Amino acid sequence: MPTLFAHGIGAGLPTGFEGRIFKRQGSGIEVANAVAQFASFALPDEVGDFGGGAVNLMGNDDVFAVLFEYGPDSVGTRLFAHQGLPGPLSTSDFQPHVLRRGLTGQSGTQWFFTEAGRPFTFYAVLGSHARRSLLVPRVNQLLEGVSVEPAPLVAPAGVPWN
Amino acid sequence: MIALSVVLGAVVLLMAVLVAGLLRSHADILKALHDLGAGVGDPTGEAHDHTAGPTTASGAPVPLTMGPTLAADRDSTSAPTLAGVTPGGDALAVAPASAGTLTLLAFLSTGCASCAGFWDAFRQPDRLGLSAGTRLVVVTKGPDREIPGEVADLAAPGLTVLMSSDAWTDYEVPGSPFFVLVDGIAGRRVGEGVANQFSQVAELVRRAEVDAAAFTLDTRTGRDVGLDGPARESANDRELLDAGIGPGDPSLYPTSLEDLYGPPDARMPAAPRPVRRAG
Repeated sequence: MPTLFAHGIGAGLPTGFEGRIFKRQGSGIEVANAVAQFASFALPDEVGDFGGGAVNLMGNDDVFAVLFEYGPDSVGTRLFAHQGLPGPLSTSDFQPHVLRRGLTGQSGTQWFFTEAGRPFTFYAVLGSHARRSLLVPRVNQLLEGVSVEPAPLVAPAGVPWN
Repeated sequence: MIALSVVLGAVVLLMAVLVAGLLRSHADILKALHDLGAGVGDPTGEAHDHTAGPTTASGAPVPLTMGPTLAADRDSTSAPTLAGVTPGGDALAVAPASAGTLTLLAFLSTGCASCAGFWDAFRQPDRLGLSAGTRLVVVTKGPDREIPGEVADLAAPGLTVLMSSDAWTDYEVPGSPFFVLVDGIAGRRVGEGVANQFSQVAELVRRAEVDAAAFTLDTRTGRDVGLDGPARESANDRELLDAGIGPGDPSLYPTSLEDLYGPPDARMPAAPRPVRRAG
């Protein structure tokens, strides 16, 4: 099983999955956090954090998923109160109205949680809601291989060296 | 005259010794090949089972292989997933066998002189002659064998570069530059080899595309969704910033319906509901 690891996120990829784990360039006022994207089809070079530019390429048997990290100030908030990665997911967890971009026939699911002290959202899209009984197990297989390490400790600014 | 004869005799003697040495070396090579089961003729005259090949001390057969052995479930047309890192330290995995499109893997090095032309050619992707449906992925050896900074310097912006020594083993790459074309519908390699110029590779890809079209290979049909990807997100960010809404603005975190729609007086009047007539 191919494995990926970067920025404290690891993933064992099921057969046929592509993936990338990266951080975007910070814009100055915005701190870039880790993003992990997985797809059962060819991931384009330029993909939005939540699949813009990729979900419209999905076939009926395809799956797209993203693990998106938020800033440390989100830790402890109600939205991220759930501890641990979601899963296993059921077919009823996927609904067309959950899609961030409603494309006909697709459905999605989104979960907010904290893992290893880091706040995340997991968002997954099925290429065909009608085939969710076949596709949801692939999402669960992907989730089983995902792991998160605690964020590295960063010394606060102004702390002397000794 | 006598001196000349002596010198000539010495030269002939020296040549005879050299020829004898070469013949001996040749015989040793033939014997070694014969012992490996690949010999031609039988220099010793002994009867050997050429089909058995080399064996271990216990007599168990040992397959004759060149280079690292492939996994049992792979063959010369397999196209396993490539996983590694980018020169920037991100993680990346490419699964060309299930990509649904043609993927051209370019195995390049930073040190090989003949690779330099390809690194340069990739700086002008519009002039490569590849169709939009063909994905180009450059594969170098991993950070254990290549310096990521040097790879980053050679790689054109936007070029997909994967650093993985395992990928070179999986695809049995003999050296660089080396190209592998994978059909993402059939899930197998459809071509591989070396080239001096990228135009030769582009011709290989073009032929593969023609073959694919002949067998009604079709890639996933994209849906026209207008502005998309990071461009769509950037446009959204610009709209928000133009409206004076920056990161962390309270309006991005509504806690009630009034936060979303304003005070009740300011809302649009509700449309009259259709009344179902009785009877």
